[in-house]
Amino acid sequence: MDGPFAPPVGQAWVRVSPKLARMRRAMLLGLVALPVMVLVSVLAVGSPTAAAVCGAVGTVVVVWGWFAVGRNVRSWGYAERADDLLVTHGATFRTLTVVPYGRMQLVDVKAGPVERAFGLVNVRLHTAAATTDAKVCGLTPPDAETLRDRLTSLGEAHAAGL
Amino acid sequence: MPPDSEPVPTGAAPPDETFRLHPLTPIALGGRILGLLVVFTAFGLAQAKTAGGGGGPSVPVLAFFGALAVVVVVRGLITVGFTSYHLSGGELRIDSGMLQRQSKRIRLDRVQSVDVLEPLAARVLGLAEIKVTTAGSERAAVRLRFLARPVAQALRADMLGRSTGAGQGEAEAPERVLLAVPHARLIGAVLLEMASWRLVFLLIGPVLTVVGRQNGHRTTTGIGVAVFLWFAIVIGHAVWQRISSMWSFTVSDSPDGLRVRHGLLSTTRQTVPPGRVQAILIHQPCLWRPFGWVQVRMNVAGYGNLDSSKRSTLIPVTDRAFAEALVGWLLGGFDLRRIPVTPPPRRARLRSPLWWRAQLAGSDDRFFVARHGLLSRTTDVVPHQRTQSLRLTAGPLERALGLASFHLDSTRGPVRTRVPNRDATEARAMLDEQVRRARTARRLAPTVRTPAPRSA
Repeated sequence: MDGPFAPPVGQAWVRVSPKLARMRRAMLLGLVALPVMVLVSVLAVGSPTAAAVCGAVGTVVVVWGWFAVGRNVRSWGYAERADDLLVTHGATFRTLTVVPYGRMQLVDVKAGPVERAFGLVNVRLHTAAATTDAKVCGLTPPDAETLRDRLTSLGEAHAAGL
Repeated sequence: MPPDSEPVPTGAAPPDETFRLHPLTPIALGGRILGLLVVFTAFGLAQAKTAGGGGGPSVPVLAFFGALAVVVVVRGLITVGFTSYHLSGGELRIDSGMLQRQSKRIRLDRVQSVDVLEPLAARVLGLAEIKVTTAGSERAAVRLRFLARPVAQALRADMLGRSTGAGQGEAEAPERVLLAVPHARLIGAVLLEMASWRLVFLLIGPVLTVVGRQNGHRTTTGIGVAVFLWFAIVIGHAVWQRISSMWSFTVSDSPDGLRVRHGLLSTTRQTVPPGRVQAILIHQPCLWRPFGWVQVRMNVAGYGNLDSSKRSTLIPVTDRAFAEALVGWLLGGFDLRRIPVTPPPRRARLRSPLWWRAQLAGSDDRFFVARHGLLSRTTDVVPHQRTQSLRLTAGPLERALGLASFHLDSTRGPVRTRVPNRDATEARAMLDEQVRRARTARRLAPTVRTPAPRSA
C-alpha cells in the first residue's frame, strides 16, 4: 500500500544512498553477530545444546535484521516542492512529514564516527515544534551540502515568523 | 513575500533605561535554603542551651551552617552587583558575570510572553520576578530575579509596550476583567478532576490492614496504615498544589495582551501579547460533565514542559459556552460549532473499539479542529497559520485496515493534535488540503505585527 505515502504528484522520492544499508549491516554484524559468535564459542565448551540454541536464535535475528535493514533503507526518501519539503521513512511503521520552508528554524547536518567512516551524513530539520520528525538519513556529503544550502536559502525566502 | 524585516520604528524612540536587581535578592533567592539553615542553627543553639552542651550539635557544626548561610548571601550579592539590565529601543540587554562577563540581547518584538512571578519568599519581601519568554527552548527564557514589585510591574508594561510597538507603554495599560473563577467552583472542580482511577491506590492500604487484622499479622497492618497515609499525602499534596496555584484565577483583556493572574501563596501574572497563542484545547474531565464545566489550555511558544500545567492554563474551570466564546474571540472571531467535523470510517472500531466514534476532525478555511475522548472530552483548535509541520503515520494494523493517522505539529505545550484512524485516501487528502490552507494562511498573515492601536 503506497497510496497515502505516495510522492507528490509529478515527482519521485529522492532515495538515500545505498551505503546506508551497508553501514547498518556492518553495525548489525559488529554489534549482534560478533557477540553471538563469541557467546556460542564460550558456551560450546560447557553445554553444546545451549550453544546450538543460542547460535540458531542469533542467526535468525541477524538474517531477519539483514532484510529489515534493506527494507528500511529503501523506504527513506525526500522530495522538494516549491514551498515545502516532504520526508518519508519506515517500512513497517510508515511516516510522511511535510515541513514548510517558512517554518524551518534551523537545519542540522550531523555525522557520527561510524557514519563518517562510510561517508554518510544526516540532515535534520528543526521547527518550533518539538514533535517535528524531519530527518533525512544517509546522504552523501555533497548531496547533504547542496540540500542544506538549498533549504537555508529557501527558508530565508519563505520566513514567516512564528 | 518579504522576509522577516526589522521592526518598524514608531515615532520617537523610547529613551534608554538601566535596571539593577534589588539588594534583597539573595535572601529571596536562597529562601528555602536560608530558612533551613537558620532553623538548624537556632534549633542547635536552643538544644545546646537546654542540654548544657551535651546532646546538641557541636560548635563546629553550627559554625559550618552559619558560614554556609553567609556564603549563600554573599554569592547572591555578587550576582546582584555584577548584573545589570538595559532597555534601549526594541532590545533588552543583560550584562552579567564577575570574572566571565556575559552579555545577552533579546529583541523585544520576538518576545512571546512576559510573566511577573511572586514566589512566597519574594512576596514576603515585596519583590517580584520577571520572566521573559522568547520562542525557542525553555532555557531561552530570561528571568529577572528579583525587582521591587512596583519596578517589576512598570518594567513589564514598558517591555510589552516596546514589543508590540506601542511605544514606551510606561503606564499600566487599562484592563477589562473577562473572568474570575469563584473559589468554591475551583475547589469542587479540582476535587472532581482528581477523582479518577488513581483513587484505587487509596484502597491498597485499608485492604492490607484488614487482611493483617484477620490473620493477626501486625506488620501487614502497620504497612497498610503507612501505605494509606503515604497515598493520602501524595494525593492531598497534588490537590493542594493545583488549588493553590489556580487560586483566584482572573483572565482580563488589555491593549498589550491577554492577562492571566493566579496563585494563593506564590502568585503569577502572565501577559500573552495578541497573536502569540499557537493552539488551544478545551478539555472536559468525565466528572465535570454533569456541571457543564470545561478547562482551557493553550500552547505558547517557549513555555516549555517544565511548568507547563501551571503556565499553559488559560481557564481552570468555566462553562462551556463562555469557554467557546472566549476561544473564538481570542483566535479572531470564529464559532467553534460551525466547523464541520467527521468521524473515522466504521472499520476503525477494530482498532479503537468504542471510542472511534468520538475521534472527530474537520476544518474550515482558518482553523483545524479535532475532538476525541468518549468519557473525558477534548477539543483541539489550531489556526492554519500557526501549524508548524504535518505528519501522516500508519503502523501495521492501520495499514492492514487501510487506515492512517494525521498529526498536526504545534509548538511545545498541552495541545498535540492527532487525528487517528482515517481512511488512507482521506488522510492524504486531509494532509494535502492542510498544507495548502496553511500556506495560504501564512501568505495572508502579516509577517511583522502591526502596532497595537492606542486610544487617543
